[in-house]
Amino acid sequence: MRNVPWYQNPTVKRLFGCLALGLVLSLMIGKQQGSRDDYYVGIKKALFGPSILGPRIILFLLVGVGVFFLITYWSRIKPYLGRPGIKPMAIGALGVVMGYVLLKWTDNSRAAADGKLGTLSDAASSTEGLSPIAQTFFTMPVPWILFLVSLIATLIAVILRNRVLGYAAAAICVVAGLWGYLAHGYVQSFLGTPDHSLGSAFQLLAYLTIAGGALVAARSHLEVADTKNFIRRAFAWRPGLFLAAIGSLVGLESLLQATWFSPQGRNATLVDMSALFAGSGLAPVSQQFLRWGAFVLLGAAILVGLVATLGLARKKLGWVAFGVGVVGALLTLLTLYLATGYAASEGFEGATGHWQNLGAGGWLAAMAFVMLAGAGWIVATLDAPVQVEKAERDLMSSDTVGGSVRHIPGMKYALLIAVIAVALFYPPTMTEYWQNVLVSQIGIFVLLAIGLNVVVGWAGLLDLGFIAFYAVGSYTTAWLVGSLPAKPPFTVSPLWAIPVAVIFALIAGVMLGAPTLRLRGDYLAIVTLGFGEIVRIVAVNAESITNSTRGPSPAVPHPAISIGPLQWEWGLNYLQYWYLLLVIMVLVIIGFRRLEDSRLGRAWAAIREDEVAAQATGVNTFRAKLFAFAIGASTSGIAGVFFASQVGYFNPQNFTLEYSILVVAYVVFGGMGSLPGAMAGAAVLTWLPEFLKEQVPAEDRQMWIGAVILLMMIFRPAGLIPATRRETELEGIDEAPRIEPRAVPESESMGATS
Amino acid sequence: MSLLEVDDIEVRYGAIRALKGVSFHVEEGEVVALLGANGAGKTTTQKTVSGMMRPSLGEIRFDGERIDGVPAHTLIHKGICHVPEGRRVFPRMSVLENLEMGAFRFKTHDEAVLDRVFELFPRLKERVKQLGGTLSGGEQQMLAIGRALMGKPRLLLLDEPSMGLAPLVVQQIFEIIREINDDGVTVLVVEQNATQALGLADRGYVLETGEVVLSGTGAELLADDRIRAAYLGEEIAH
Repeated sequence: MRNVPWYQNPTVKRLFGCLALGLVLSLMIGKQQGSRDDYYVGIKKALFGPSILGPRIILFLLVGVGVFFLITYWSRIKPYLGRPGIKPMAIGALGVVMGYVLLKWTDNSRAAADGKLGTLSDAASSTEGLSPIAQTFFTMPVPWILFLVSLIATLIAVILRNRVLGYAAAAICVVAGLWGYLAHGYVQSFLGTPDHSLGSAFQLLAYLTIAGGALVAARSHLEVADTKNFIRRAFAWRPGLFLAAIGSLVGLESLLQATWFSPQGRNATLVDMSALFAGSGLAPVSQQFLRWGAFVLLGAAILVGLVATLGLARKKLGWVAFGVGVVGALLTLLTLYLATGYAASEGFEGATGHWQNLGAGGWLAAMAFVMLAGAGWIVATLDAPVQVEKAERDLMSSDTVGGSVRHIPGMKYALLIAVIAVALFYPPTMTEYWQNVLVSQIGIFVLLAIGLNVVVGWAGLLDLGFIAFYAVGSYTTAWLVGSLPAKPPFTVSPLWAIPVAVIFALIAGVMLGAPTLRLRGDYLAIVTLGFGEIVRIVAVNAESITNSTRGPSPAVPHPAISIGPLQWEWGLNYLQYWYLLLVIMVLVIIGFRRLEDSRLGRAWAAIREDEVAAQATGVNTFRAKLFAFAIGASTSGIAGVFFASQVGYFNPQNFTLEYSILVVAYVVFGGMGSLPGAMAGAAVLTWLPEFLKEQVPAEDRQMWIGAVILLMMIFRPAGLIPATRRETELEGIDEAPRIEPRAVPESESMGATS
Repeated sequence: MSLLEVDDIEVRYGAIRALKGVSFHVEEGEVVALLGANGAGKTTTQKTVSGMMRPSLGEIRFDGERIDGVPAHTLIHKGICHVPEGRRVFPRMSVLENLEMGAFRFKTHDEAVLDRVFELFPRLKERVKQLGGTLSGGEQQMLAIGRALMGKPRLLLLDEPSMGLAPLVVQQIFEIIREINDDGVTVLVVEQNATQALGLADRGYVLETGEVVLSGTGAELLADDRIRAAYLGEEIAH
């Protein structure tokens, strides 16, 4: 054997490499200090600045040593990575770190400048009069110790696959998560300002995910060792459980912590509110509801809902939960309406009228009631045993496509009800800024993505000029209300412009489609791209019609309805627009769902799969593609009307190529050809930049967005919520559904065979 | 009157004349084979008959009615169903969905036809839920034929059903084509596999560079020296 000097030993070299990595990380991570004239200060701060383990360099060298061990013993570690429960554990751990490090824990800038856990805990741990529960949590390394303890407990449970340890670890995780959540709640009620921060809720969710991993570990000796299927089984046997669980959490939050009524920043919780209205002239129903009705009804709904969803075929209990939930939701809304109106008419300080001055509490209660009612309804109506049997069968037959949570019977309805409840009752609790984002960014782009999904996702035609139809819709509206230099024969309210705008956008779609749809693939994309630009340039140059870059003036008025006694005008606040948009969206979605399963939908699917074969089976391919263009375009036209009347003022800059490409990106990100996917893609990618605005430094924002898209490409290449067909398209159709590779090492497997 | 009459058609790809005046006819209930080497114009002929291409000269009559230039999706309503070259099943649709697509011209598919397809191809019944793309080559060919049958054809156009398949499977497929013909469906089959095709066909035509150079009954053509030399690779002893 050749004699090599010690420093050329591969292990030693690796150790040095890892230590160097630690050094580099310590210089890279954290706030950059020092100046060009004085690098020394920057380096000194980076190396010897304070951290939880003395000078920073020690912490980072330890990270390097950790990496060293990880690489050196990788072959021994690797078998454990397939263990049931490891995935939820890893995702949850990542979530907790994000919740602790990245997200805001408070909006109150007096309490903590950047609102994050670190700064908040500095302030909170030394505050007199704060509840000890909160004070302990916010004493610095406590949250991290909680995190480490939960993680290590779960890790041990996962490695040993020990039942008792698994349950214990799950319990620890739940306690840790709830503790942080409650501590945050105490701080908020102490500060007494409305709060929209997400940190505590996010870390609770992440802890619950880790707990899920621990539970999987605890149960894995009973089940086939396969995390995904374990979760599917747990839910498959209990349709609606998911909904009931979320409903219960939301309900508890609304009753115990949330602000219900806040004229002049008074922040009354339910109990305070009940005291406020006790003995007043408020309708007795509402007074009783505030005093005890809300507690009793919600308690009953939670109890019945959970029992009904936990057991199978408890149909009667399901109906009870449904009834209680519906009654509770209606009473909540009635009380909110009456109480706010009464407060305003009696001249409460700061009260301004119906539906005004409300905190999140009432809305969350309504959300919880709706979710619990939905859970009850699912239990009551689903033919559970039959459905579950079918699910089990599907699970066993390996040839069918599938394997995601969506295929659990009843899960689809549960998700749908959850989304509806959130869409109805969450927006009122948001800040005005976010309501604006919701309406003018998220809502409009979701509508556009729904439209483009027909063209790109269903018919498989790449359209890079989609925004042109949106422009046609917007300008048609401006024209019809008389805001353009070219005057219409008669002016109408923007709402009545919808049919005309739809027809105009449709004509534009056919005009573009008829001559170009014989082109395929890239050629079509280029022509549509050109079309989008032409529309924008015409809008800039046809000054006598479009008023060029100055845009329509006077501003497009807000929509209004006046049919006999019914008078309604939008424009007072964003919420009204949101509900209008919601109605439009629901109608469009219902229409498109039916379209997807129609003959036309099947024709699109066939064209996307194989155009020649589609022709051979008798599909009029040209007409089907033209329909796709026209239908997509008209949806875009509706979005245009909405946009024009909501912002009032716009100009050709709102319709640049950038937006066309963004909408394509949303559809691809969400999952081509999947309606919920396209919507989720648009929602997430419009929400994310706004969300990051207040979370990370402005310079880093694009990097975070890029990171999210990168992660998506790696882990969900077919999109956020892929269409079933597309999923197989990208995974390769020859591949059998993936099952985690050997969850249990050969040596430990059970049974007599080994 | 013949079911299908092709009268002196000429088809061009730009300046290239792919068919230079091809004429043939198919009688009701017959199996007719079009033979020829690569580039002889077999597939072009078929595509023209099925309405995917348009002849620049000449006439095609189906049941006495002119159909040249009528698009494929209209022709299918007259009962001309086409199994395209290379099978072309919908890869991400299940077997059942593929078959249902075949009945696209009807509002709903005919259960009796579906049962008949499953009777002809029991393999497809075993795999109704499987995706088209996961089937083997032979099964895909069966699916493509089954899909065309769902359109209740009077005239079934088959483009190289033996392409890329094992000899045993080819034999199976041709037996099934025979059965389909026995059900009363007229078949026009384009083939390179002359033995199989002529063994099945009542009559055959041989195409060469866009022209019909030979025609006759299946047995006659099989016995023809030129055929044997060109397609069966036999040395002809003179």
